[in-house]
Amino acid sequence: MTEMLITRPEHDKTTHYLSNWSKEIINIAEGKNIKVFDLNREKAIRTNVEVRLRKLSCNLTFFNGHGNFNVITGHNNEPIIIGGENENLLKSKIVYAISCKSAKELGPRSVKAGAVSYTGFDDDFIFVYEPENISRPLHDNTAKLFLEPSQLFMKSLIKGNSVREGMDKTKKLLADNFLKALNDNDRDSAKYLWWDLKHFVSHGDVDAKLQ
Amino acid sequence: MSNLSEDIKELVIFRLEAFPSNRKVSIGSYGEFTKEELIEHVRKGDEIGKKVADIEMEFIRALKEGIVS
Repeated sequence: MTEMLITRPEHDKTTHYLSNWSKEIINIAEGKNIKVFDLNREKAIRTNVEVRLRKLSCNLTFFNGHGNFNVITGHNNEPIIIGGENENLLKSKIVYAISCKSAKELGPRSVKAGAVSYTGFDDDFIFVYEPENISRPLHDNTAKLFLEPSQLFMKSLIKGNSVREGMDKTKKLLADNFLKALNDNDRDSAKYLWWDLKHFVSHGDVDAKLQ
Repeated sequence: MSNLSEDIKELVIFRLEAFPSNRKVSIGSYGEFTKEELIEHVRKGDEIGKKVADIEMEFIRALKEGIVS
């Protein structure tokens, strides 16, 4: 059985948006008979992540949170995966991290340590949002321009597509939204969509699919 | 990016002025910012200001190269 680990801290506005937008992935995965381990809010801490990754054969890991070049963080920005300390726990897994910059160094390190692939952003992931919609982030049509593409990668993998196909679909939607923003004279969203598009990368076996 | 020149600051601030007041930007681990806060960081030329300028300049380069029309 395919197993998926997902982390969804919610301690600030950015993680609140990421967490809410990734809920749909849980529903889609469960609909495909994927067993989901959801580490939400205060459960998204290093101890829990390590226990889950050690005990379970999670083929797929999906991190939402902050990060840096060599780190993915969880609840209250606690580092949960650190290059040089525990990236070996990602061995044999397809990894997706919406965690700023981590695909720059942690990505290649994880693949070197045995991860099948590591997809994410090699610089900051940026999105624009409407503060008036903070209590209902899924109704925020500005944030949707950014967060719908960011979730599409997971949807594509769960549907059986390869990492490369997921990458292509995500980049295409980012590009489509970029053009839409330009056509709507929304240059501010456009420039940040352009930035995200340029910094969305994959390392490792991009032909890999969920088994 | 090295220290921001006054010309770059002026250009970036000019472009940021058009950012709607009813929106905010989430810039990864740096946090969430209003237009006024972004402009203030660019004025100071701090790490966040340099990041904002970097994003703006990358977009301008794309425009110049014709990738974005």
